[in-house]
Amino acid sequence: MALHDQLSALAAELASALTSASDERALEELRIAYLGRSGKITEIRRGIGKLPPDERPTAGKSINDAVAGLEAQFAAAQQGIELRKLDAELERTLDVTLWNVPAPLGSFHPIRKTIDDACTYFVRHGFAVLLGPEVDTTRHNFDALNIPPDHPAREGFDSFYLRPDLLLRPHTSPMQIRAMEAYPPPIAIVVPGKCYRRDAVDARHLYQFNQIEGLQVGEGIHFGHLRGMLTGMCRELFGPRQEVRFRPSFFPFTEPSAEIDTTCPGCGGGGESCRTCGGSGWIEIGGSGMVHPNVLRAVGYDPDVVSGWAFGCGIERLAMVRYDIGDIREFIWNEPSFLEQLA
Amino acid sequence: MRTPLAWLRDYVDLPAETQAIVEKLAMLGFPVEAVDSPPPLSGIVAGKLAKVEKHPNADRLFVCSVDIGAQKPLTIATAATNVAQGQVVPVATIGAQLAGGLKIEPRTMRGIASEGMLVSANELGLEADWFEDGIMQLDPQTPLGSDVVKLFGLDQDVLEVEVTSNRVDAMSMLGLARELAAAFGTSVREPDSAVDYAAGGEFSVEIESPDCKRFVAQRVSNVQVRTAKTALRVRLALAGQRPISNVVDISNFVMLETGQPLHFYDYERLAGRRLIVRDARDGERVKTLDGIDYTLAPRMLVIADEQETQCLAGLKGAAASEVGPATREIAIEAANFTGARVRRMGSELALRSDASARHEKALPLALTDVGAARAARLLVDEGATVYAPHGFGQAAPAPPIVALRKREVRRLLGYELESAEIARILESLGFSVRESAVAHDGVFEVEVPLWRSDVTIEADLVEEIARLAGYDRVVAAIPPTGQQAIASEAYEMQRRVAETLAMLGYREVATLALQPASVHQRWGTNAVEIANPLSEDQHYMRFSLIPALLQLRQDKIFEIGDVFGDAGEIVEKTHAAFVRRTTAPQAQSWSDEQFVALKADAIAFVRRATGRLPDVRAAKHHGWHPGICAELTLDGNTIAIAGALDPRLGVQFETDGRVHVAQVDLAALPAPVVPRYRAPSRYPSLSRDLALVVDLGVSAQQIETVIGGAVDGLARTIRAFDEYHGPQVGAGKKSLAVRIVMQRDDATMTDAEADTAIEKILGALKSELGATLRSG
Repeated sequence: MALHDQLSALAAELASALTSASDERALEELRIAYLGRSGKITEIRRGIGKLPPDERPTAGKSINDAVAGLEAQFAAAQQGIELRKLDAELERTLDVTLWNVPAPLGSFHPIRKTIDDACTYFVRHGFAVLLGPEVDTTRHNFDALNIPPDHPAREGFDSFYLRPDLLLRPHTSPMQIRAMEAYPPPIAIVVPGKCYRRDAVDARHLYQFNQIEGLQVGEGIHFGHLRGMLTGMCRELFGPRQEVRFRPSFFPFTEPSAEIDTTCPGCGGGGESCRTCGGSGWIEIGGSGMVHPNVLRAVGYDPDVVSGWAFGCGIERLAMVRYDIGDIREFIWNEPSFLEQLA
Repeated sequence: MRTPLAWLRDYVDLPAETQAIVEKLAMLGFPVEAVDSPPPLSGIVAGKLAKVEKHPNADRLFVCSVDIGAQKPLTIATAATNVAQGQVVPVATIGAQLAGGLKIEPRTMRGIASEGMLVSANELGLEADWFEDGIMQLDPQTPLGSDVVKLFGLDQDVLEVEVTSNRVDAMSMLGLARELAAAFGTSVREPDSAVDYAAGGEFSVEIESPDCKRFVAQRVSNVQVRTAKTALRVRLALAGQRPISNVVDISNFVMLETGQPLHFYDYERLAGRRLIVRDARDGERVKTLDGIDYTLAPRMLVIADEQETQCLAGLKGAAASEVGPATREIAIEAANFTGARVRRMGSELALRSDASARHEKALPLALTDVGAARAARLLVDEGATVYAPHGFGQAAPAPPIVALRKREVRRLLGYELESAEIARILESLGFSVRESAVAHDGVFEVEVPLWRSDVTIEADLVEEIARLAGYDRVVAAIPPTGQQAIASEAYEMQRRVAETLAMLGYREVATLALQPASVHQRWGTNAVEIANPLSEDQHYMRFSLIPALLQLRQDKIFEIGDVFGDAGEIVEKTHAAFVRRTTAPQAQSWSDEQFVALKADAIAFVRRATGRLPDVRAAKHHGWHPGICAELTLDGNTIAIAGALDPRLGVQFETDGRVHVAQVDLAALPAPVVPRYRAPSRYPSLSRDLALVVDLGVSAQQIETVIGGAVDGLARTIRAFDEYHGPQVGAGKKSLAVRIVMQRDDATMTDAEADTAIEKILGALKSELGATLRSG
């Protein structure tokens, strides 16, 4: 048989063999059989030596051309196999609704999340966040806050005492004094932290709770700035439509003083039978006011030059409304299901 | 304060709708905690018992002929036993509705058609025990046929009003009436206190203590003690005060009306016919009006006659001089005491009263005269003879004048108010306003009314203006903040710590910081004691976060919080603690995957929190297993402790599983450094493994340190990766596999170089740690 026919036959033979090569292993076996070191092409090449010398170059070229043809056949077959594999892969169907279980995440306690979100708002507006000791003096807690020893309001802070002049802070306000004593005005801070009062524990009370305190003192600082910042904080925590209203109240360390209400997030402010706000459309979140001149004087600020505001809000209260939690003790029960839901 | 709207309307015209009043009070700073609405009542009229006869067919019934001002009297049968001819009583006519839902229909009682019902106080929605047992008695002068419900305001709501401790003036009907009058733009009808005093009536009060600042005393004779007028009794009952008698009720009425507490003594029972305000004698005993015996001490203030205590100042009177049915002459006390002394006395004696609730606060001195005069007037109305009052102690000071700069209103509130509006608001509240002669422009001289002892400074006036202008006029604004000079380091560190632990898969919990004694006793330490705990469960401060975490019995939890120690001074530190817990059994005595996992978390934690990798060394700390406890250090300072919980504590705290704990003192964490990037070498590295045999006491960290030191910089990573204890290495020894990766920055490391390095390493390990290569 002429070399030419021999090579054509080989190509045809491979073409038919490749149709039954269904995977890469079969393809590899064929490659070895045809193009391998002791394969069919090698055998034909050996025949070149028997040809007259002048025919050898042509024969060599024919063989090389034939090899290229075979390689193209292999490449096409390879591609075919890969396409079939992709098709097979695409055939697969899983029940993607099986095992809808979240991977375990680490998480923050909802109290920390609420504190962080509130602080974030103030930090964005140039406030610093300070932390302070939970054990503090009567001077920081009361005297310097315009609550002298015999003041009737002192009784309202039913506090845990460690020594006659040392107690677990019943509010975060002592940090107003510590901050103003440490830094000259202007000052703009928030202080989150634990506080303690001698309350019996029930669904609405814990003797240990968290507050966030805000304080800004400087020239030209007024009541409207307090309302603006509190509105911003409430929007950060509850949503963009929150409003804040003030109601007159009394705190010895502020004058004028105000209770802070915000739109009830439970009903958006309109709910007749809303269980979050009891139908009033507002929820009470804390106390506030313009810093009393006696407090400014106690820390060496001049109340004729600077003015300022302060507020204190209960974090548990904010978090209960925010996450719709009905029992304040959830925060200390630490049930995995509770922590997981709010993670 | 219980505030019957029916009473309040005596002094001020108010809207019919309760809700409008409630909202106004709230925006004035007096939130209404509750609205008590009366039961639906109708068809009840005043009727006179023209005739009372025994029922012909029933021993226990009476048949009354009742004149209700109509042409024909009603015939009404009743089972009540307190009925008598001539009485004027409330009568429920056919169709009437009574408290408790009872509706009156015609009925026949033992053969007699009854055309209505005689009514008890309880059936009018009043406290049953405070009125006649049986049918309620009305004043004989009550117009027959008049609507009893309307007449006495029994159809009106009673508000429970919260009054802040600075506003003692508003702990009275008049005080709230003044506020509402100002807010509704109307005026107050002041009660009548005009009296023509009888001549004589000398009376002496000696004040021995400066804590009695003023004492107005007044004698009253020709007193006839009897049941008070119906309107007075109903007013008091609605306000939560039990009616006693016309005289006693007047003292309570005046207190609730004006805010000035009064005390009435039976004058003829006062030894020496005079009063002395003095410190109590040590051990002195007194029985109060309610029959309770108290033992007194000199820090308490009393009002005594020449023999014994007749009144605990500001709190309660003594039984000895109680006004009773036989009383003919009384002495009125309208006094002002140091509030703090009354409060301390009350809390020491566990005694509080409506009087002390007012005396404890800053009652104005001038109110004593007001209260005495009003009582005098009401007693005169009861037919008594009242002598002129005598004032002792300090005279009531002239009303204070407070200067108010108009610009201060703007400076504090942030919005402008016209001078006219400022003046109008202040005057509506009873202040007198003059523009100052000194600096007439924008400065007001404001005279404070006698009842507003809480207003002393300019800011107080600004609050009054803001309140009445409406707090809603405060315009929300974002304040300017300059460059912040105050760092938030502690907060940021705490946040970073919490974030890191959450990233590592730990869940944050929050536990209570007050604990029972059993916690620190089981832990084997001391703890800071609370001087006034609410219960034994809250008697001590936590000294560590770990016990409470153990009690939760959860895997991978953490807490950040303050712990407290007592080293003469109280030491407060902020700790973070994180816990792993497993119930899987321990595999081998000399290895502990849980510990390795916890330590990996701790190392990652320090790296993330500080930007640096810590060293690890064995350590011993109370609370941890003595053989499985590591310190993580930076520059030799301990940053964290990580290890297995001491198994003895595991038993004590019933952990029911193996627990591993790490603890960090946040103050020890250095501020994070910004890491510097080091580009990897472009040349290939070589890796060599060594199987070493060392004494059991030699730590992996020691081996790694020696290797690193021996080939200075060439060894890029050195990691002990396998440990073996057992017969093949012999007792007291262990085998450690170490992988050393070596690399140069400037050229490809050759095998020959690596061999040389390994030689040096083995030499150093042998000489410094006695390590040998494991054979076979």
